[in-house]
Amino acid sequence: MAWLHTWAGLVTGWVMFCVFVTGTATYYRSDISLWMRPEVRAAAVEPGVAAERGAAYLKVHAPKAVAWFVSLPQEERPLLDVYWFDSFDTPIKQATLDAGTGQLSTARATQGGDFLYRFHFELQMMPLVGRWIVGASALILLVALVSGIVTHRRIFSDFFTFRRDKSAQRGWLDAHNVTGVLALPFHLMITYTGIVTLAFTLMPWGIASAYRGDELRLFVESGQSPAWRAAAGRPAEGLPLAPLVARAQGEVSEPLEMVIVNNPGDAAATVVAVFEEPKGLAHRHPQVVFDATSGDVITRLGTLKPAAHVFTSFLGLHEAHFAGPALRVLFFLCGVMGSATIATGLVLWAVARAPKAGAAPGFGLRLVRGLNLGTILGLPIGIAAFFLANRLLPVELDARATWEGGVFFGAWGVAALVSLARPHARTWREMGMAAALLFLAVPVVGALTTDRGLDFLGFDAAMVAIGLLLAWGARKVSRYRGPARARAAVPDALARA
Amino acid sequence: MNLAPSMTPSSVLLTLALSFAGLSALCLAMDRHHRAIFLGSPSRRRARALRVAGWCGIGAAFAAAVITADWNFGPVQWFGSLTGAALLVVGLVSYRPRWVRPAALVALPVAAVAAFLA
Repeated sequence: MAWLHTWAGLVTGWVMFCVFVTGTATYYRSDISLWMRPEVRAAAVEPGVAAERGAAYLKVHAPKAVAWFVSLPQEERPLLDVYWFDSFDTPIKQATLDAGTGQLSTARATQGGDFLYRFHFELQMMPLVGRWIVGASALILLVALVSGIVTHRRIFSDFFTFRRDKSAQRGWLDAHNVTGVLALPFHLMITYTGIVTLAFTLMPWGIASAYRGDELRLFVESGQSPAWRAAAGRPAEGLPLAPLVARAQGEVSEPLEMVIVNNPGDAAATVVAVFEEPKGLAHRHPQVVFDATSGDVITRLGTLKPAAHVFTSFLGLHEAHFAGPALRVLFFLCGVMGSATIATGLVLWAVARAPKAGAAPGFGLRLVRGLNLGTILGLPIGIAAFFLANRLLPVELDARATWEGGVFFGAWGVAALVSLARPHARTWREMGMAAALLFLAVPVVGALTTDRGLDFLGFDAAMVAIGLLLAWGARKVSRYRGPARARAAVPDALARA
Repeated sequence: MNLAPSMTPSSVLLTLALSFAGLSALCLAMDRHHRAIFLGSPSRRRARALRVAGWCGIGAAFAAAVITADWNFGPVQWFGSLTGAALLVVGLVSYRPRWVRPAALVALPVAAVAAFLA
């Protein structure tokens, strides 16, 4: 079954490496977002007051909307985000407000950590296309994982074995095995639950045939969202939101996350108070639904049906919102090991197929070497450039958030072209050093361009750690000469990669 | 020991330290690693004792995780700790083999302190 593992791993490796790296970064999405909006500081605003500020903005700017969503400021995102649908056939619209004033936020426009989060499952393509590519790759990765376990006959006897002083191929294989086996529970869990989160995209037919054009009813019947109440067609003044919010907070102890007004200004309008997930594995949000004009409670959502509970538990396990700082470090470490398993597997494919000394590599090998280098070092270069762009692009630039993404893809594209043009050991070393320097520059540029001083020590430390790790790797690659007895045959480990 | 679900850093540290001690013992029980560290194969009795101690450590880590972090998160924390601890063992065995035994012995009082705090 080795051929299955080899080829399943190779065809999905590049996509899944990107998915693993950006997904691992997403464990710190809110920290990244805070760093990327240095103008925004936490402001203590009562949730009810913030909800009314959001609704006041929407009343002026979206009076005819069918639904308003006011996302309340949280510690990790001290902004007031408002969303609305003008009709169910138009895309959702969004505005970011200052939580203290209720006016449009003057903070720099950026997608923050959401950029990497969305890339993780949509690759910044058209959402459906991206999700299909990621979903299909994840399915093949699951095949690669299972066939890898079957192929690896010495899981237990080689459990702690990393022979870094034998041949290059042995070293890469041991690194692949160690990172793969030690974090195997994570790899299986994250790949499987990742596929589950995309299940409705990959397999829409069950819901389509059961609900026939009324797919939203699934979420109502499984207890995940309240039933939609049709507009009455008569205008009516809704009650102020703050008292309703306060009543909902009296019932639920979790922090309030969002207030939704359905059919605002209509006699049949409803107000939904959505709370954060209670501490537990499952990703589920308690909700209290009010009649917006009478203030009566229409329904409460909290407990889920068993199937929905299993589904949201898989989602919760994948996203790890429940993880405190210590456990989060372990999740992050597992994500890094997953990325390393894929990267070492890709390199191993090329190392194992290195031509004999003096022979020219074929087209396939040259392509894989170029794609390996362009992905494994190109993506980190793109991410570092993305962080630097956040600090260096002018704050008043038009379509600034899009430009940040443009810099990400631009830097990555340049790195990929360089690696396709000259993929050999020196390029590994040079690009590794370039990536290291870019990451090390992030805290310096951050400190020079903002007045936040020591507010982001954790983020800065992470950037320095990643930079040093890349520099160490690049140095290792340039210093490695192979074991003494094989030195003549293997002049440079990565000349073969 | 606090029986309420906590998932605090000390609870993670406790699980991590016990996992590390257990996995180090299992590693030392293996001929290849024992020879690299002690310059000789372990006797049969010594290898068996290390294996038993190792599995006890892993079992104790599971119990500690479930007691301090509940059935909900305990198993998740246990799996994560085993991965982190095993990576540490592999790093030490490959780069600083002589540190494996002292590190495993230090992990035990660390676990005791963490248990007191968790």
